[in-house]
Amino acid sequence: MICPVCNKDMFVIEYKRVELDYCHICKGAWFDAGEMELLLETAGLKDGTQAVHDVLKLPEAHTAEKKRRCPICGKNMKKVIIGGEKGVMIDACFQHHGLWFDGGEVADLMKIVSEQAGCKKETESEIMCFLKDVFQG
Amino acid sequence: MGALLVFIGWFIGLVFAANGIAGLVIALIIWGIMTLVAYFQGDNILLSVAGAKKISPSDHQQLYDVVEEMKIASGLEKMPDIYIIDDPSLNAFATGRDPNHAAVSITSGLLQKLNRDELQGVIGHEISHIKHRDVLLMSMCSVLLGTIVILSFYASRMMMFGAIFGGGGGGGRRGSSKNSGGGGGAAIIILVLAILLMILAPLFAQLIYFAISRKREYLADASSALYTRYPAGLASALEKLEQSTTPVKNATQATAPMYIVNPFRNKLNVNNLTSTHPPLEERIRILRSMAGGAAYANYDQAYRQVKNTNSGIISPQSAAAAGTVGLRAAVAGGPVEPPVDDKVSRTRDVNDMMYRMNDYKTIECECGAKLKVPPSMQGSMIKCPRCGRAHQA
Repeated sequence: MICPVCNKDMFVIEYKRVELDYCHICKGAWFDAGEMELLLETAGLKDGTQAVHDVLKLPEAHTAEKKRRCPICGKNMKKVIIGGEKGVMIDACFQHHGLWFDGGEVADLMKIVSEQAGCKKETESEIMCFLKDVFQG
Repeated sequence: MGALLVFIGWFIGLVFAANGIAGLVIALIIWGIMTLVAYFQGDNILLSVAGAKKISPSDHQQLYDVVEEMKIASGLEKMPDIYIIDDPSLNAFATGRDPNHAAVSITSGLLQKLNRDELQGVIGHEISHIKHRDVLLMSMCSVLLGTIVILSFYASRMMMFGAIFGGGGGGGRRGSSKNSGGGGGAAIIILVLAILLMILAPLFAQLIYFAISRKREYLADASSALYTRYPAGLASALEKLEQSTTPVKNATQATAPMYIVNPFRNKLNVNNLTSTHPPLEERIRILRSMAGGAAYANYDQAYRQVKNTNSGIISPQSAAAAGTVGLRAAVAGGPVEPPVDDKVSRTRDVNDMMYRMNDYKTIECECGAKLKVPPSMQGSMIKCPRCGRAHQA
């Protein structure tokens, strides 16, 4: 898969049998819809297929950050904020292909998760906890 | 549909060359060339447009086994080639001009999502397309359709030019010809008819094409039930396809009828007259209401019941020839595993196969993460994003 920011090849990191695509240049990560489904269903959440759909329901964030293109379909993605008011802004593919986290966003997200007490059994929280788990540093 | 092509050719000839036969010959020559190309190269073109990769038995043993089972059940002589398309969307299709040059293709997404019974149902459906030479029929139909569309398109353009430069359009030219039997009135009538036909012909052709395609889909579903003796497998696969919302990456209008479900199903709500595939829910309902057996006769009965009509979809002769076949029970899926685990292993297996085929290298880091590195990055140092250990890729 090609990194939507650097246009270079990404490599894949598999952890707890779930995969992420990771760019070693910008440290961004692509979370594929199918993999998210596996993560959420392993965690016991029912409708894993709805994950990207749920994220897409969040309002579009107003920002000057450049639009990112989905590495699967090449179309512009939607910028949304997950993890509440002080959350991080990520990119979600309108075609439900997956979510993109910029390098800095992964770091911010880890801070937020550390401040929270544990992981809730809920889509956003589960995704963020998994990312923290993978990139614990 | 052939008759439509002949009509169009004749009218073009009549309008432009005052000679119906000349137009006819042109139409037939164009159609002949396109048919030859489609016949000998069609499957290769289609497979490369879809980005399919051929796999061997060792790449995915289960898929190979299922195809072999269905090949035996259908009575095909030659084992079809198996192709994988690296695409997260869910779809499958069959190609090949005859059963000896056939291939089945399946997207990696579909391979991940289906269990063995469902996979068997889908492969049974595709094998039926091969067995009944549907692919040849469908590609010949699409070539014929293509020729009609091309001819009408260019003919209408030429008439516009004729109208601008010839100062009277086709009719004017035709009038100048000595052969024209009637007066100006007849010429105008023919011109109007020709224009009408040129506008309507592609529409008609498309409708006929769609009707043929849909009938073939029902037959393939019925055959899949017959070969697998387990209609619930295909029904459950179709349910998974129905839920999926990812559109197929490389599908075009022309290749649409080849897929197991319409690849454009989410773009717009196509109405029933112009869709290449019957509505999914209807196909599922028919398969689900098959009772008492897996034979064509049982499918036909279920079809009548669901559609609430007296006319069946399968001819009585072929239904009788297939005889009676009992249903089988669901396969106990090997070792008893919770379904989620099963799904995770299936996904990992299929993905790892795709990585092997694309020459990825796998590094197992001590921290428990696995790094899968594409060929372009091999040879350089790679830091594990989890624990920071450096690895030589």
